[in-house]
Amino acid sequence: MLQLQNKILTLISFLVLFFVFTADLEAQSYITEEGYVEFKSSAPLLTFKGTSNHLTGLIDLDQNLVDFYIDLNTLDTGINLRNRHMRNSYLETDKFPFAEFTGSMNSIFDPESDGKQEVTVVGEFTIHGVTREMEITGTLERVSDEIELIATWTVLLEDHNIDRPSVIFYELAEEQEVTIKALLKLQND
Amino acid sequence: MIKMKKTLSLIILISVISLFLAESAFAQLERTRVQEVRPVELTFMAPRNINLYTVEPLSPGELHYSIMHTFGTVDSGIRNLWGIDQGANVRFSFEYGLTERLSLGFGRSSLDKVVDFTGRYALLKQMSDNSMPVSVSLNTSAGINTSSFGFLAEDYTFSDRLNFTGSLLIARKFTENFSLQVSPTVVHFNRVGQETNVADTDLNTYYAIGVATRYKIKPRTAVSAQYIPTLNGENTSYNLALGIDIETGGHVFQMFFTTSRALNDQYLIAGENGDFFDRQFRFGFNVNRLFNIRGR
Repeated sequence: MLQLQNKILTLISFLVLFFVFTADLEAQSYITEEGYVEFKSSAPLLTFKGTSNHLTGLIDLDQNLVDFYIDLNTLDTGINLRNRHMRNSYLETDKFPFAEFTGSMNSIFDPESDGKQEVTVVGEFTIHGVTREMEITGTLERVSDEIELIATWTVLLEDHNIDRPSVIFYELAEEQEVTIKALLKLQND
Repeated sequence: MIKMKKTLSLIILISVISLFLAESAFAQLERTRVQEVRPVELTFMAPRNINLYTVEPLSPGELHYSIMHTFGTVDSGIRNLWGIDQGANVRFSFEYGLTERLSLGFGRSSLDKVVDFTGRYALLKQMSDNSMPVSVSLNTSAGINTSSFGFLAEDYTFSDRLNFTGSLLIARKFTENFSLQVSPTVVHFNRVGQETNVADTDLNTYYAIGVATRYKIKPRTAVSAQYIPTLNGENTSYNLALGIDIETGGHVFQMFFTTSRALNDQYLIAGENGDFFDRQFRFGFNVNRLFNIRGR
C-alpha cells in the first residue's frame, strides 16, 4: 500500500516536472533588439525622416502577445539641431523616453508555412505619455528560424498631445508615417 | 513516507516557481534606455542669451547667424518713440561649429565699427546623472576698431585698434525650466581714450562677472535676464537686462530692455550703462537663426 502511494507520488512529481519543461520547450517566442524604425514627415515645405536601429520587441505566438518599444532618444533625423528640438520641445524624451505598442494578433500566424502572411494586431500604442487603441496591419514571414516583420501605420501628432507651433506648420506634418522592419529570432531557453 | 511528502512538496514548489518564472519571462519586455546617461541639452534656447554667449554648443556643420539691435533710451519719451527714432546699434555675427566642442565666428558691431573674431570651446558638459554637474565653455573674442581716426593728431596703429575678451562660461540647467550661467570675464583694450566708447578713458583692463539666466514659462517661450557688474573702474557700473525668448523652430527671437548700447562682450563690460531704475534703459532685440549647412 505504502509502496503504491510512493509510486503514485513519484509519478505525479515526474508529471509536474515534465509539464514544466515541456511548457518551456513549446514556447514560441521571437525577439529582436535591433529592429528598424522610421518616421516620415511630409509637410508642404519639408519632407524629412527620423530613423533608429534600436527597436526592441517580442512576438509570443503561444500567448499571442506582441510587444514592442523604442528609446526615442535614438531617433536621428540627420541634423543634430533638429534632433535636440525633437527631443526637448516635441517628444519631451526626458519625461517620456519610450514609444511602445502592446497588443495581440487578430489573425493567426502559422510559423510553419512559407511566404508573407498578412497579420493584424490590435493593442495600445503609447508615445508622449498618451495611449491610443490601435489596429495595425503588417506582414510576417518565416525566414529559416527567424520571422521578418514589416508594418506601416500613421500617427497623428494631435492624438498624442504633441504640439506644433503655428509657424512651422509648413515644416512639420501632422501625420507621421511610421514604418518598422525587424528580424525576430526564436528565443532559446 | 513523511520524507517522501517533503520531497514531493519541494518538487511542486520548485515547479510552480519555475512555471511562474517562465510565465513572467514571456510577458511584456522590460523597458530599458539605450543610453542611461546623456549630456544635458538646451541649457539655453540659443548660443546667446540677450547679449552674452552661452554654453549652448553648435554641432559640427551648424551655422548660427544672429542679428542684434539696441535703440535709444526709453526715457527720451514718446516724441522719440521711446528711443526707436534715435536709430539702432546693430551687430550681426556668424558662428560655425567645427567639432562637437569648438566653434569659430566673426561679427561686426556699429558701435565704434568693431569687427571681431570669436571662438568658443566646450570644456565640460553637464550630464543627466549629475556625474558632471555643470557645463563649462571657454569664450574668447578679438575685436578691431575700424573707425577712422584721421581727426586725431597722433597715429593710430593696428595694434592700438585691438581689444580682447576672455571668459569662462559656467552653466547649469537646474530644472527643465531654469538655467543659470556665471562667467568671470577679463576685457582688455590696447588703447583707450575719448575716441573710444569705454566708461573709463584711462583704464585698459576691465574685470567683470557675467550672470545670465532664463526661465521657461512655456515649451518654446522663456523669460531671460542678464546682470554684468564690472568690478573695477571709476565710471563703470553694471549692465542689467530683462527679456523674453521665443523659439519658433529654427529661429529664436529675443526681445529685451538693457542699460547698455553695447552688443559685444568688450563694450558690454567696458562701456557705460544707464540706471535701469531711472528709465535709462533701451529696447533691443535679437534674431538668432540656426542652419545646418553640412547635411548628412
